Amino acid sequence: MIPAFRSAQTQTQWALEFIRLVMLLLCLVGWVMYPVELLLLDHWTESWQSRIPFFVAIPGFIFTLWVLFDRKTPWVRWAFILTMWASVFTGLIGAYFHLLWNFEGEVAWEFEAAMEAMAGSRPVLAALAFTHIGVTGLLAIYRAR
Amino acid sequence: MIEALIKAQTEEERLLEFLRSTFLLIALVGFAFYSMEHWILDHWTESWQSRIPFFVSLVGFPLTLLMFFHRGKWVRYPFLLWMLVTVATGLLGAYYHLLWNAQDAEVSLWNLKGFLEAFEGSRPVLAALAHTHVGAVAFVVGITIRD
Repeated sequence: MIPAFRSAQTQTQWALEFIRLVMLLLCLVGWVMYPVELLLLDHWTESWQSRIPFFVAIPGFIFTLWVLFDRKTPWVRWAFILTMWASVFTGLIGAYFHLLWNFEGEVAWEFEAAMEAMAGSRPVLAALAFTHIGVTGLLAIYRAR
Repeated sequence: MIEALIKAQTEEERLLEFLRSTFLLIALVGFAFYSMEHWILDHWTESWQSRIPFFVSLVGFPLTLLMFFHRGKWVRYPFLLWMLVTVATGLLGAYYHLLWNAQDAEVSLWNLKGFLEAFEGSRPVLAALAHTHVGAVAFVVGITIRD
């Protein structure tokens, strides 16, 4: 991203590469902050599945940093894209489980019960931060050659 | 934004307008969801200041929506200003979450041990920064637009 931004020739190219670069930097900040928060909050149960968001963040950080300097190497691009998709699904699954575990007693997918579960102790939108990072990363590399 | 996307002449212009529109849409969804979450969670104290994030989102949503249909300077400049307000709101929110967590734990925020303890408190620090994230994304989109 950085080499493409530095070699932008027209106003359109500059704007395009500037947006891509800043979005990728925001992703990188997210990839640092979210695993740090998970680690500090000891945010897992005894199951290995609960550590998935943390483990997704590790390649997320590495490949985002890499793509900042090199977006041409095919395997790096693919690894980055795959990791971003993994992040998108991690966020969606996390939000689903936060919502599910917030149901007290019987799980009922009715509006009122779902809203009550949404207001429960596990933040539903917070989990979607991983989806947000993943989508941002995917958009940043979309048609970037 | 929509007009610019439709009128884009080259592949590069189309891609730029597509990315601008999509990132702006993400910001729009953010404003809708965060204000809704504040509302559902009854996320305020008795002070009016605690309602600032909600009101900032409430103004941010229509301003962002307006950008899809008109992005002249009379819309764009207030939009950019409001996005900076959103960025500042998130930063202040994170600071107060940390501060109140530190007060609850009776630690000082200004040393590493106290900071980490405050970070682990009941008020989520990064969640407040979601406002900063949304504001920054929308600001970056807006700042690259020329008349």
